[in-house]
Amino acid sequence: MRKLIFVVLAIAVCWFAADCARAAELRVPQDAVAGQPLSIATSGSGTVYLIGPGQVIKRSFKSGGNVEIKGEELRGAGRWIVVLRGDGHQSQAFWVKPGKPEKLNFLARPSRVPVARPNVISGVTFVFDRYQNLILGPTPVNFNLSVGGAGSSKSVTSHDGVAWINSSSAPKAGAAQFVTSVDGVEVRRVVQQVAADPCNLRMHVAGRANNMVVVETDPIRDCSGNAVPDGTIVTFIQTDKSGKSTVDARIKKGTARAELPASDNATITVAAGVVLGNELHVGGKP
Amino acid sequence: MKLARMVVLCFGVALAISGGVPLLQRILADGKPSIQLNVKNAQPREVEDVTQNAILRDYTAAWQAIGTALANNTLQPLNENFSGFALDQLTQRVKDQKEHGLATRIVDRGHQVEAIFYSPDGAAIELKDTATIETQVLDGGTVIYSDQAQVRYYAVMTGAEDRWKVRVLETAPQ
Repeated sequence: MRKLIFVVLAIAVCWFAADCARAAELRVPQDAVAGQPLSIATSGSGTVYLIGPGQVIKRSFKSGGNVEIKGEELRGAGRWIVVLRGDGHQSQAFWVKPGKPEKLNFLARPSRVPVARPNVISGVTFVFDRYQNLILGPTPVNFNLSVGGAGSSKSVTSHDGVAWINSSSAPKAGAAQFVTSVDGVEVRRVVQQVAADPCNLRMHVAGRANNMVVVETDPIRDCSGNAVPDGTIVTFIQTDKSGKSTVDARIKKGTARAELPASDNATITVAAGVVLGNELHVGGKP
Repeated sequence: MKLARMVVLCFGVALAISGGVPLLQRILADGKPSIQLNVKNAQPREVEDVTQNAILRDYTAAWQAIGTALANNTLQPLNENFSGFALDQLTQRVKDQKEHGLATRIVDRGHQVEAIFYSPDGAAIELKDTATIETQVLDGGTVIYSDQAQVRYYAVMTGAEDRWKVRVLETAPQ
């Protein structure tokens, strides 16, 4: 009787050991990286399913062979499941890390901004690998904003896949190159920096003809000396005893000009946006 | 004898309630996952109340869509709630499942979501989601894999025509 129990126990232990040995043979490397080949150790024969965030890979295998997954097949980072069906049924979850940074998603706002404004430009960079997996680990991201060669640079470490900065606009108008880069991967955006509101808006009488008074501004510039762009509206208002006359004129070649009806005693004012200019008093018809 | 009958009856009623209540809860829940959203730590911009409600609504819809799409191998729910790489990725997953005769049943046990980034222009938001999910992979009608795990998801959502859509959805070890 003792012998029988011993034999049964021995068989049970061997069976268990064989099962353990077989189970141990489904081995998935724990340092898998997206875009790099993967080798899964198996035993017996059957089919293996790899179920990833955006893929399902199915492979048949025969005894003793490893299941080889090519780098270009293993694209998605995240949690994968491997299921082995055949002589035994085993399964395991494993993680695939993202590869190195190769793609940047850069949001630069706004596309057009007045000069010399604090913290008015924002840059946001999402860092991805070749297969568009978000790289969640800290990665140094460089931001460079320059106009005509002069500018500023800043390095920010990404957190959970994203890095951002706020930057002031430069005092000089022009197309600013806003560049983000990680390990030689570069993305460029253009932020058009335009003159701010006019500064010292002044006008003078440029002439009189045919019962009309011609008024013209001096060259219109912002407080940093940048020419206010052509096309900006300048409003001339003439007030006299007969009422009010308004002319909206566009800046052309740096100045704005308007013809107003001549009057015995009129006051003319000029404004551009929220900025008021000087006042003229004109009288006497030509 | 009468007492024994009463005991059996009470036991039967208790059994029916214990089975019926969860079933009723699931029916009433309409398959919508339970999602708790915290926006207090969002940077660099504060999340507006209207945006918070919209994100909660659309992220919930996105998870509902994942469940439907992976269980039935259909693409329509994905197109309505995903864009960019997340859409490409999930579309490929559904196509692969269909090709290999698989389906994935997701039993969603709830999400603790935190907004961690909200872009200065309000165009993109990143969420960190701790989800408790039961996953069953089916080959035909047979379950070939089943597990319940707490998984950390990172999602980037961007504003689309009439809703927020998930543009990136990635899992990471906790």
